[in-house]
Amino acid sequence: MAEEMSHFQQFKSGIVENNPVLVQLLGMCPTLAITNSLENALVMGAAATFVVVMSNLITSLLRNLIQPHVRILIFTLTIATFVTIADMTLKAHLYQVSKQLGAFVPLIIVNCMIICRAEVVALKSGVGRSLADAFGIGIGFTLALSILGVIREILGSGSLTLPGGMKLLELPPGFDPHAWIIMILPPGAFLTLGVVVGVVNYLRQRKPKEVPA
Amino acid sequence: MSVDLGVMFGLFLSVVLVNNLVFQGFLGICPFLGVSRKLDMAFGMGCAVTFVITMAGVITWCIMHFVLHPVAGWALGDPRALNFLQYVAFIMVIASMVQLVEMYLKKFFPPLYTALGVFLPLITTNCAILGACLYIYMKDETQQLLNALIYAFGGGIGFAIAIVIMAGIREHIRFSRVPRPLQGAGISLLIAGILALAFTGFTGIGK
Amino acid sequence: MKKFLHESWLVVLMGGAFAALLATTQSATIDRIRENERQDLDTAIAEVVPDLGAGRPPEKLRVAEHDVYRCRDARGMLVGWVVDASGVGFIDKIRLVVGLSPDGRTITGVKVIGHLETPGLGNKIETKGDEHFYPLQYAGKSTQRAMELVKRPAGEPHEIQAITGATYSSQYVMDIVNAVIARVVPELPAEKG
Repeated sequence: MAEEMSHFQQFKSGIVENNPVLVQLLGMCPTLAITNSLENALVMGAAATFVVVMSNLITSLLRNLIQPHVRILIFTLTIATFVTIADMTLKAHLYQVSKQLGAFVPLIIVNCMIICRAEVVALKSGVGRSLADAFGIGIGFTLALSILGVIREILGSGSLTLPGGMKLLELPPGFDPHAWIIMILPPGAFLTLGVVVGVVNYLRQRKPKEVPA
Repeated sequence: MSVDLGVMFGLFLSVVLVNNLVFQGFLGICPFLGVSRKLDMAFGMGCAVTFVITMAGVITWCIMHFVLHPVAGWALGDPRALNFLQYVAFIMVIASMVQLVEMYLKKFFPPLYTALGVFLPLITTNCAILGACLYIYMKDETQQLLNALIYAFGGGIGFAIAIVIMAGIREHIRFSRVPRPLQGAGISLLIAGILALAFTGFTGIGK
Repeated sequence: MKKFLHESWLVVLMGGAFAALLATTQSATIDRIRENERQDLDTAIAEVVPDLGAGRPPEKLRVAEHDVYRCRDARGMLVGWVVDASGVGFIDKIRLVVGLSPDGRTITGVKVIGHLETPGLGNKIETKGDEHFYPLQYAGKSTQRAMELVKRPAGEPHEIQAITGATYSSQYVMDIVNAVIARVVPELPAEKG
């Protein structure tokens, strides 16, 4: 079944049909925790994308050598290594953001979506497809995080920040930026995600079944 | 090493109610949403997680303080020098532990294994476990082994409470009419949001 | 044993390769990371001791179990003290620096440099962009009396207004400052001129 998908379709499915957060409902922990600002969402997305790309790449290159019994161990080892690299890089170059992301950077290791891609795709496919899949999933993840980040930051802080601190949006003075403070607090995270998932499901259920091309 | 019961109790209460790993710390969400459909499964998962998190917390604490720091200090002069291996070490420990627990249960407690067996691999990717281990290393209060144990255990209990409450509620709403798009994850998240709000009311306890 | 080797040689090999990779990345980044951490402290010190200017690097002392920095300006005159203090916070510990006048009788500033408080809310104890920027209120306060947190604009000299919606984090910061006043200020080495 997977063989019939072109690389591009594999890539696209990670963003749309199989979006790890909004469809597969994986990686919920970072989604709730760090989407209080767009800056955090983008950086986390980039870090996760880096890890899943490297993980898929290495798994795919070594796929003929990995013994079944130890495969989870190998995936875990690979992922943990690249997460550590990402964490070190962030602490060195985007220090303030890494402080805000806190423990959730190392928690990328247990983000189910990454190990899932290794198991389902990279173990069985060539490098091209594995990379397409990885990028798709990574971008899909980043997109989902960003949607939430935008909503929560605008409503909760009245601003929109890009990595590096540049602000895209600021409320005119006179508006209380924290009127909906709940949005950047934990309950707001749950509520926002619940609504977004609800909307996504609604859209999915409305769409007529696609006829295979 | 002082044994201050007040501090320990405060620590326990804090991680169960005030800084609940699920509602405040955003850890363990995937199983929290996925396994909370039925009360008995939720309870089982809660127990399994509490067990694993307590052991993992203690073992990883020991690895940092009895292995990594001394070795780094002896070999490289700086106890923090090998800290970059922390994440790899932690996750390998957790993964191996879960495997061992699984094998142990399968051999010695087959009925328990059949009941819980399917959860155990899931527990490895439960961010609450790794998260708690990382926090134990980072927090001042848990630099003593006993406190680390309490924090880990409390974290597990907090998770168990969260997931059981959620399961109880979800069993109730099985007979309500939830709009289709919200069924499953959507409504669970909204409920979780309200629960999180409720738990915010616990802030300040223990201080 | 043979089966074990057959199944796990790859794991061991990769383990070794990754350890080397990590060690390399570590040496590539560790300097910048330490620098970042130090910069946070340096920037904070400069912010809470406004007269420091392009003064000499602060001299680190140990007073009443705290790290205290003696700050001199370019001419060597004592312009202030900075106390590195931490205490319990809402989520985790809060670390801040308290700037003190040379005689230790006035607070010249407070800056939070490390915390895990609720993002966007509790971390207003750190971020700017708010007229009632919480730590600014400490500047100019006397150290002769412990401070008190109130939820309305401060009336008395020893009152500080809490951040709306982050009363606990505000209180924790205040507790740390009050502890500095009580324990460290009396122990500051006297400076003659």
